[in-house]
Amino acid sequence: MKEYVLLMFSAALVNNVILGRFLGLCPTMGVTTRLDAAVGMGMATTFVMTISALAGWTVNTLLLVPFGLGYLRTITFILIIASAVQFTEMVVKKISPSLFKLLGIYLPLITTNCAVLGIALLLVEGKLSFISSILFALGSAMGFSLVLVIFAGLRERLAVMDVPRLFAGPPIAFIVVSLLALAFMGFSGMGAS
Amino acid sequence: MDEPLHSTADFSAPPVIEGIAHVVAIEGKFAWLEPEQTTSCGSCASASACGSKGIGTMANRLEQRRFRIANDANLAIGERVVFGIHENVLLKGSFTAYAIPLATLLLAGSLAQWQFGSDFITMAAMVVGLVIGLGISRWVAGRLHAKGDLDPLFLRRARPGETCNS
Repeated sequence: MKEYVLLMFSAALVNNVILGRFLGLCPTMGVTTRLDAAVGMGMATTFVMTISALAGWTVNTLLLVPFGLGYLRTITFILIIASAVQFTEMVVKKISPSLFKLLGIYLPLITTNCAVLGIALLLVEGKLSFISSILFALGSAMGFSLVLVIFAGLRERLAVMDVPRLFAGPPIAFIVVSLLALAFMGFSGMGAS
Repeated sequence: MDEPLHSTADFSAPPVIEGIAHVVAIEGKFAWLEPEQTTSCGSCASASACGSKGIGTMANRLEQRRFRIANDANLAIGERVVFGIHENVLLKGSFTAYAIPLATLLLAGSLAQWQFGSDFITMAAMVVGLVIGLGISRWVAGRLHAKGDLDPLFLRRARPGETCNS
């Protein structure tokens, strides 16, 4: 049990997908102008990342490894992620057309989110068990969502601050995210005893 | 340069998220609207270099996102209007669509792993958990829809040249 908690903690905070691995920077800058958009995107990404990890581990273990098709891994994972997004979109549309109209906006953005592919490939590299893979993907996605929400909150405040004209807009946002990355580096100094 | 805002300024977001849409059809007492901006990152500073923005701006996607509101303001086809959704609706919607299925998936997987310790049984249990979660989501979404919690509201006619960012 302890190892699962540590795995999730490590994936979410110590090796944060945005601030530690520098993946998924496009949505980080693109959808963090509003807090509600960041929450919507974060939850959609968490769902897709977990489903992709489930499907990716299954395909890799049952098809790619036994048949020596490791060279097809990247393209297979891209297909899996695109299918997971399409599946999610169809399901949300079926569950409630109103919800689809409200949340469908975030789903296509996930297809081009390199964090989802990056995590799927990291899972294979780490040779994790099934349940560990799912928890690692979930922890990474929660870390991703956490940074989106923190950053969106900071940007909402930045929008009404008196920022020097030279730094207004993306420059100050990058400075803020770099300070956030420094803060997250503090987690790497924590040891489990 | 503008005067700096006082530190006690209200930083809270407005209670209603606004968007701009075109009236594309009138159907009895209802007007069908098509939102103008379909991607949340389509208008950011790096939009020209970002591959994500094109996906959400295709015509079919616009058509899929049409929605209906009560036409109490006598709207006509082609008019631009400002509509809004309550801030907590997005949170409720995200929770319903994503958090419930994810929670049941993880719960079923954890129970199976604890009980049997086999990866393949855990995998099957997760799929079953996901299906159950989607069923619960459908029920919750139906209730929200019946209460009208997910419906957008007509706020006003858009001013000439008004955009989401203005």
